[in-house]
Amino acid sequence: MNPGFTNHFLLPLLRGVLQIAILLLLAPLLPGIVNRVKAWVAGRRGPPLLQLYYDLGRLWNKGIVLSTAASPGHLVGPAIAWVAILGSAMLLPLGPGDALWSFKGDALLFLYLLALARFCTASAALETGSAFEGMGAAREVSFAVLSESALITAILALAVQTGSLSLTGMLAPVPNPSAGLLAAGLFTVLLAENCRVPFDDPNTHLELTMIHEVMVLDHSGPPLAVILHGAALKLLVFALLLAQAVLPLNHLSLLPATGCLLAAMLVITLLVGFAESLLARFAFRRVPLLLTTAFLFCLFALLTAWKGVS
Amino acid sequence: MSPGCLLSLALAAMVAGTCCAPRWTRLWLGCTVAATLLTLGAAISVLAGGPWEWHGAFPIGGELPHLRADGLSAFFLVLLSVIGLAGTVYSSEYWSPKKHPGSAYPGRVWWNLLLLFMGLVLLCSNGLHFLIGWELFTLCAYFLITRERHLPAVRRAGWLYLAASHASALCLFAFFAAIAARTGSWDLGPLRDHLELAPLFWLALIGFGLKAGLFPLHIWLPSAHANAPTHVSALLSGVAIKMGIYGLMRFSGWIPTPADAGWVVATLGVASAVLGVAFALGQHDLKRLLAYHSVENIGIILIGLGFAMMASRAGQPGWGRLAMAGALLHVWNHGLFKALLFLGAGSVLHATGTRRMSELGGLWRAMPWTAASFALGAVAISGLPPLNGFVSEWLVYLGLFGAVDGLGPGSAAAVPAAILLAVTGAMALACFVKVVGVVFLGTPRTLRAEKAVECGWFMRSPMLLLGGACILIGLAPALFWPALQSAIAAWEPGWAMDVAPAPLLSLGIWNVGFALAAALAATLLLRRVRRNGIARAGTWDCGFAAPTARMQYTAGSFAGIITEWFAWILQPSRHADKITHPFPSRAAFREHTPETVLEKVVEPSAGMVMALSSAMRRLQHGRLQFYILYLVFGLIALALLAFWGGAP
Amino acid sequence: MTDAINLLVGLALGANLLALGSSRLPSIIRAAAIQGIVLGVIPLLLKPEFHWLVALVSIGTIAIKGFVIPALLLRALRAANIAREEHPLLGFIPSLLIGASATVGAVILAGHLPLLPEHRGLLLVPGALATLVSGLVLLVGRTKAISQVCGYLILENGIYLFGLLLIRGTPLIVEAGILLDLTVAIFVIGIIVDRIQREFDSLDTGKLTSLHE
Repeated sequence: MNPGFTNHFLLPLLRGVLQIAILLLLAPLLPGIVNRVKAWVAGRRGPPLLQLYYDLGRLWNKGIVLSTAASPGHLVGPAIAWVAILGSAMLLPLGPGDALWSFKGDALLFLYLLALARFCTASAALETGSAFEGMGAAREVSFAVLSESALITAILALAVQTGSLSLTGMLAPVPNPSAGLLAAGLFTVLLAENCRVPFDDPNTHLELTMIHEVMVLDHSGPPLAVILHGAALKLLVFALLLAQAVLPLNHLSLLPATGCLLAAMLVITLLVGFAESLLARFAFRRVPLLLTTAFLFCLFALLTAWKGVS
Repeated sequence: MSPGCLLSLALAAMVAGTCCAPRWTRLWLGCTVAATLLTLGAAISVLAGGPWEWHGAFPIGGELPHLRADGLSAFFLVLLSVIGLAGTVYSSEYWSPKKHPGSAYPGRVWWNLLLLFMGLVLLCSNGLHFLIGWELFTLCAYFLITRERHLPAVRRAGWLYLAASHASALCLFAFFAAIAARTGSWDLGPLRDHLELAPLFWLALIGFGLKAGLFPLHIWLPSAHANAPTHVSALLSGVAIKMGIYGLMRFSGWIPTPADAGWVVATLGVASAVLGVAFALGQHDLKRLLAYHSVENIGIILIGLGFAMMASRAGQPGWGRLAMAGALLHVWNHGLFKALLFLGAGSVLHATGTRRMSELGGLWRAMPWTAASFALGAVAISGLPPLNGFVSEWLVYLGLFGAVDGLGPGSAAAVPAAILLAVTGAMALACFVKVVGVVFLGTPRTLRAEKAVECGWFMRSPMLLLGGACILIGLAPALFWPALQSAIAAWEPGWAMDVAPAPLLSLGIWNVGFALAAALAATLLLRRVRRNGIARAGTWDCGFAAPTARMQYTAGSFAGIITEWFAWILQPSRHADKITHPFPSRAAFREHTPETVLEKVVEPSAGMVMALSSAMRRLQHGRLQFYILYLVFGLIALALLAFWGGAP
Repeated sequence: MTDAINLLVGLALGANLLALGSSRLPSIIRAAAIQGIVLGVIPLLLKPEFHWLVALVSIGTIAIKGFVIPALLLRALRAANIAREEHPLLGFIPSLLIGASATVGAVILAGHLPLLPEHRGLLLVPGALATLVSGLVLLVGRTKAISQVCGYLILENGIYLFGLLLIRGTPLIVEAGILLDLTVAIFVIGIIVDRIQREFDSLDTGKLTSLHE
């Protein structure tokens, strides 16, 4: 075989397939770890680590009950949202490995793909005409205004720090004082965007106080599986973003970098679990305040980075 | 064929169409469509082949006509012809003589004249003729807005539009007259070396800004766009307000600008973007909501333009070019998706007879074509990939990031601009989830919505055309780079760059791949669901057994969280019956978001001027003796002035 | 040394935002206390050589601003038995955003000020400006007398930060005098708070409008 073909086409393709496979397979593990942590803190045995995999398999083979009010968009929406989240994951570098697709300005594509996913899930929720789901969708899109402003500020901070406009270049920070602020801001955004305590409670299912769970009340079967997998993937995406925005992994060689990244993911997941066990969910009127705080963390990270450059 | 040839053919077809309009529908339609297509051809040949110029031999109004189509005017001409084409076809069914016997035929004449004069404004290179064309197209638009003048709201909107337009025309008169006085000729062209013209930019900013509807000069825009017939709203929102943008771009390119003009333009842009979308969230009237989104998108365009102006002043073409390309592409994109959304709203209005979102709902079942194209437009206007809105916003962002990264002069302004642009995007998304959800999804809230029927092909095909254009620009943005390039070169000659920037190509490939992947995933999921079996049942709704359509989330409740944050400027008036008993019998809730700038600022100050003027009128009572006395007092005052403050 | 001072000023700025964003009176008091302690440490770092007067003022500042006054305020809070939730005139998010933009603005502004070369790298001036603004926002935007006292404290901290710039020029005795004034003022306010509470059964300064003629 032509070595040029192998080097320029086959190997990247193989690497790409491998990378996507890792992302897809690893994602449902994260909620499993979070649930184990919560069970451990509460002194329960808790569900198995691989519970979400079983759930996904079960849902994938189930039939669905579709609301009479819903259009085909109710089923198409989750699929597009899932592809959008996967697409945003493909723009992220994986520790030592570069991103699958990288160009100048892809950080904004990353942000807007997540927004597309939000558009799809929120409109799919409105399909049913249920007041509960309308409430969830309204909260989702409203709080996203604040978390998006925090995210773009974080991206600006990284851009100023590294002088790069692509995620691959941005997520290679040098050790600097703004990392702590950035970590605090991004972790808060991670909790908010993934509907975790103290913003939302993934355990309550019939409360007026929830965001994400209430939007998926009327989904069932394969679409619900896609939504659940997408949510796990989104947690993975945010954890990857957080870990690589803060840790200078690119200075390490292949094995230590991979190890560090995996350890960082574990630490973030554990932190989510502990936050969920030890914090109470905030009252809704306090949520914007918390998200504003996250925005300010990112803003001061930006300011520090700026001071550092000039 | 040369652009001149195509344009004269287009003119002939347009005149023929205008003559046919009062009588023969088919002929009118054919001629007008031909005229728009010919104009499109001329514009494309200018964009591809280079500028075109024509000097007339016979003076009009004392001035020799001078037409010029360079990259910038051709760029706007493309938009005019595409939206004109879509609107013409749409109106043949939407505003048909059968439904509107009295107003359909004259409406067509005004429509054709509006298209004609807007084209003229884009081509005129003589200040006087520019003003004449400007005034004429403003008047044509007025007669189109007041098609239903038996309604008081329409008359009021038309009056406000006329007043605002004349305030704008006043500034432009001063602007062009001052240029003519300085240069000694009404003829226009690149005048960058006349540095003394720079302060005139502020006049242009007010004049063209009023037309473009930037905050806080947008006061006329929502009511005019909401009350005009919908194809007219589409043209007004898609093209007419862009004439203001054209003016700003044209003259920021031709005359020198003051040092801080870029900052001012960008600041106004940010204010328009954020507050436009905030006001849109507070609306309950579908067309009024869309009108406020025009303010938002004009803001995004102005952010790009403002930063391009800063870059031009600082001599940094690298990011300035991207910001300008974003602003220009957003001109096209906003024209396309806003026209698409207005036409969709028109179909809803046509089918149900109401613009109030609280009376709609569940229309996807009756109107699948309209619902699908409206949803496409909603994704596009929210700036989401892989459609066109994202591409232009992304270019503006790249310009802003370039400004931040270069630590150039714009760096301090670029950070808040980028953050607020993201906020605008997220709020636009919230607003369009609300619109799509409340109007097209769920169950019908009233009988009207239940009885709706899909519109015919004459109304459907323009929507499909515009939707197709949105998809095309989204998937193959690099294809349109030469057009952008040509327009940028007309604005700032030094910035020409023939090859599309590499990220734009990458983004295009990504968008295609993403669209394919999304389609594939959706198909696979649908097939899987079919194989597993679908059972239809009522919405589960946490087990509530007797839901009614009125229990659905409404537009006001959906937007409530965000409008609460902006209550300081939205000033919504709310009326709610207090619920007192454990089993309340009747309750009502009404909410209205006023046009704050108009009702809280402009009207009170206008009232003060009126009060002052009527107080002054007492001095004029018709008694001659007192007038003589005034003269005497005046003379004494002058004499005293001369005596004390007098000449040396 | 510069880094350590900047870190401390950064912490003080964080305390500003904490005070602006928290809705409960005890947390506002604590934020002011933390700020007082943090600022008390700075004079020790500012001068390379040890000086007993500096140390004395530093200890005095930490003791009074960090412990005595907060303890007094917390006691007043307990004694007056008032609701601990604040109902502000200016919402928490707007006040936070004002505080943050004041901080950013101060950093940018300080870059343009004609400062002495040895103060260029320091965050003292922007920190002082931002702290002043935060204190003013608290004074203007809150209704409870206690949180206004905290606003006053934070305002004074801003002035103190400015004063540190002149630590070579001014005798520290001036700073000590300010500290004394402050303590006396807080005592007076404490007495007034007690009186208001007895008269109106509330510490809401809005109620004072009923005293006008």
